[in-house]
Amino acid sequence: MIETRKLCKSFDGFRALSELDVKVPKGAVYGLVGPNGAGKTTLIRHLAGIYIPDSGEVLIDGQPVYENTEVKSRIAYIPDDIFYYTQATVTDMKNFYKGLYPAFDEERFKKLGEIFGMEETRPVRKLSKGMQKQAAFRIAISCRPDVILLDEPVDGLDPVMRRNVWGILMSDVAENGTTVLVSSHNLRELEDVCDHVGIMEKGSMLIERSLDELQNNIVKLQLVLPDGTELPEGLEILGRSSTGKLEQIIVRGKAEEVEERIAQISPVYCESIPLNLEEIFIYELGGTGYEVRNIIV
Amino acid sequence: MININYRDRRPIFEQVKDGFRNLIISGVLKEGERMPSVRDLASQLAINPNTIQRAYRELEIDGYICTVPGKGSFVSQRDEAAEKRRAELRAKMSEIARELRHAGIGEEELITLIRKEYDHD
Repeated sequence: MIETRKLCKSFDGFRALSELDVKVPKGAVYGLVGPNGAGKTTLIRHLAGIYIPDSGEVLIDGQPVYENTEVKSRIAYIPDDIFYYTQATVTDMKNFYKGLYPAFDEERFKKLGEIFGMEETRPVRKLSKGMQKQAAFRIAISCRPDVILLDEPVDGLDPVMRRNVWGILMSDVAENGTTVLVSSHNLRELEDVCDHVGIMEKGSMLIERSLDELQNNIVKLQLVLPDGTELPEGLEILGRSSTGKLEQIIVRGKAEEVEERIAQISPVYCESIPLNLEEIFIYELGGTGYEVRNIIV
Repeated sequence: MININYRDRRPIFEQVKDGFRNLIISGVLKEGERMPSVRDLASQLAINPNTIQRAYRELEIDGYICTVPGKGSFVSQRDEAAEKRRAELRAKMSEIARELRHAGIGEEELITLIRKEYDHD
């Protein structure tokens, strides 16, 4: 289990994380989302044991991560910008990490070579960006970690490779209860793989829920009201727009409950539509003043 | 064998559930046949294993499959499941018929429509 408690971090007076609480259950696939500059990467770097917290705690299975070799040898971290030594080949890098991770699985590394068809004799730095990312995944998955931290992981991977990578990760989650924390802006993709979602904003957690709860707690309705009727009082409306008589409203609450309340004013037409993660992201953040604007430049 | 359609508004677990239900009802998956393991399916479709678990759980509640601990999930006897589905479809049919009536489609026209479907076979 991954947990942070009241985690704070400032850089040169800029407060990157403020009293951040995160909870990722074991075996969860946790999608970390948020606008640019929300502090996602800073959080991940704390979880990987790279940053020292200013205050607060960073715990994995109840143990602090920073300078804790035992805990860190069970965490694999794939950053956005991957580091490889100059001139090092995939094999060199593999041997380097093999020395650091006691659970390293050489067999697995060999097998994964069939999926990731990369040149093993050329320096990794000379390979394309996508290939470098593939090499990182191949090594990370071979380390058989209990926790995998991924920062913008599939950036630069082609569609086939994305699917391969997610397929392997999902099978690890099913089989070994691996915990995965992934930050991404590709919400469409997160929706498939995640069961928990945390939305960060300005260094703190805006909402943290299971994907089910998140999707069951907000609903989009298309309706036509009878002339002269207003919406019932007390609905928490996050967004409202209309085209002619047809109104579209975004309401917080369970679909059945909202529909029931709307039914009381007997609308001419009413249909509820589930929201996808991207819409939830936009509407939840809209409440905090961060929103999509109609800009014409 | 199951397809996830990203343009589909249904949540993924429902797509998985409906997909298997159709395979069972149509007889593609036979009685007693073993369902793919959660792990294989998660890896194959690249979706969260908990999502598949949930779809399986609901299929089990609805009587389409049964789970033997340590062995996996199997397609259960079809009669009961198929009867349940028939009831569901009948209810749906009544709903559609009601809507058509409101939309001003006459009884004769509706019967002609239905007859057409049956004549196909």
